[in-house]
Amino acid sequence: MFALVDCNNFYASCERLFQPTLIGRPVVVLSNNDGCVIARSDEAKALGIVMGTPAYMSEALFRKNNVAVFSSNYTLYGDISNRVMKTLATFVPRLEIYSIDEAFLDMGELAYTDLSKLGLKIRTTVTRNTGIPVSVGIAPTKALAKMANRYTKKKYKSLGVFYAANQQLIDEMLDFTEIGDIWGIGQQYALLLKKNGVNTAMDFVHFHPDWIRANMSVVGLRLWNELRGIPSIEWEYEPKDKKNICTSRSFGKLTNDYSIIKEAASNYAASCAEKLRRQASVCKSVHVFISTNPHKTDHQQFQHSITIQCETATNLTNEIIAYALQGLEIIFPAGNFLFMKCGVMVLNIIPENEVQMNMFNQKSRAKEKIVLSAMDKINLQLGKGTVRMAVQRFDKRYRLKAEHLSRKYTTRLDEVLKIKI
Amino acid sequence: MLIPFLNSNIPAGFPSPANDYLEETIDLNKEFIPHPLSTFIITTEGDSMMNAFIPNKAMLLVDKSVKPKSGDIVVAVVNGEFTVKFLEMKAFSCRLLPANDKYPPIKITEEMEMQIWGVVIKIIIDPKDVRHVRPC
Repeated sequence: MFALVDCNNFYASCERLFQPTLIGRPVVVLSNNDGCVIARSDEAKALGIVMGTPAYMSEALFRKNNVAVFSSNYTLYGDISNRVMKTLATFVPRLEIYSIDEAFLDMGELAYTDLSKLGLKIRTTVTRNTGIPVSVGIAPTKALAKMANRYTKKKYKSLGVFYAANQQLIDEMLDFTEIGDIWGIGQQYALLLKKNGVNTAMDFVHFHPDWIRANMSVVGLRLWNELRGIPSIEWEYEPKDKKNICTSRSFGKLTNDYSIIKEAASNYAASCAEKLRRQASVCKSVHVFISTNPHKTDHQQFQHSITIQCETATNLTNEIIAYALQGLEIIFPAGNFLFMKCGVMVLNIIPENEVQMNMFNQKSRAKEKIVLSAMDKINLQLGKGTVRMAVQRFDKRYRLKAEHLSRKYTTRLDEVLKIKI
Repeated sequence: MLIPFLNSNIPAGFPSPANDYLEETIDLNKEFIPHPLSTFIITTEGDSMMNAFIPNKAMLLVDKSVKPKSGDIVVAVVNGEFTVKFLEMKAFSCRLLPANDKYPPIKITEEMEMQIWGVVIKIIIDPKDVRHVRPC
């Protein structure tokens, strides 16, 4: 048996933990740069606020309904997520962290005879110890556990646990779940399936496997098996190293200033390099791109990107910045374009210990490695960007907009919760 | 914080007889925070808990996993506002008590919304902040 544990409205719940006046009040959290709504409390959902709505379009609605608006505080969410996951790990021998707010628990070998009791215990413990409410779905496969979790939220909200213990309960859930709400079925497949008379998860499990294999490949077939109770999706206990790492952001405001864009690219390159070092890998090529705002149709448009091959696979900040700037130099156009976004991606990532040295580039990197590992340590303790390359500078102009940021309550001593007593 | 121990590893010379008896360092994190996943640090301002060794400025370690008992110092949420008080629970009543006569007890009634956020497990104070009781 497998369980999927999911935090309820995770980002909003993190904010509420330290601001209880927000309980009962609609809460939304905005994406990086305060762009659009990426998380909503139940009250905000009830107001009809849709995920992905640009924040500037909803300002009036927010004001009218006294909606509490937050910039995303990933430092806080990351720490709370870590607490939730580690608390979950105390219940089961194996756990797979699926996203910042969800984890699969392998309950196969547990001696509990009644798993719904264990589910309840998990729910009450996590909620009490971390302050974050969670829902638990338990079923024979991962896909069914995911569905059980959704079913919990729709039908057993206050109980918070649904254990699909037998076929009758599984059928109840399959009947309830519409085809587009199945984990792993996107809009395109949902449309195609509906055209073929498949409207619910129940219809799907009774549909011809040949058709599914022909139209939805082996992935679709795997899902079909999962929903029939046959475990077919692999377990990933260890998070896989990322295949490529991308850092890109919109500028605080449109710009055509090359020095600002260069600075931004350097910062993104530095962030990619740091992520590479954290997973002990190196990249063989560096990709850089720039783009104007495609929604401003009255502006002249420009998008371009380039991939630079590294002489030797690297994770050194100075080298990756140099490659990114070399690429930017090549693609940056003459003319008066207003740029909105720039990004750096590192590609062809391999483990650090598999690097082949270039015959013509034999310089020792030992010294740089010592410097950078010291830099990483300092930045981890004192905050991102405390020590940086000179070219990264420190300019507020293109920095992210985060006008509604809450405090780093759990990671900075000078930002912890203050109570007047 | 780690309090380092003396390591007397002299390359040449007589090895320290204490080397066989070395133990791990004292780790205050481990000693003071038995449940790090559910423990939060908060700071307080105000003198309502003065006589409970919480002066005007203090830092508290709050464990959410501890079951609150009568007599505990707790972080409570009363009608949406945080406070820190002694918890008094009796068969048919519940009160939040300050540790300073200047302040009245808070009686929790049915119309009130009260929730225990966590139990205070350690109080950290700076000796500079307790000058008011300094005898010299």
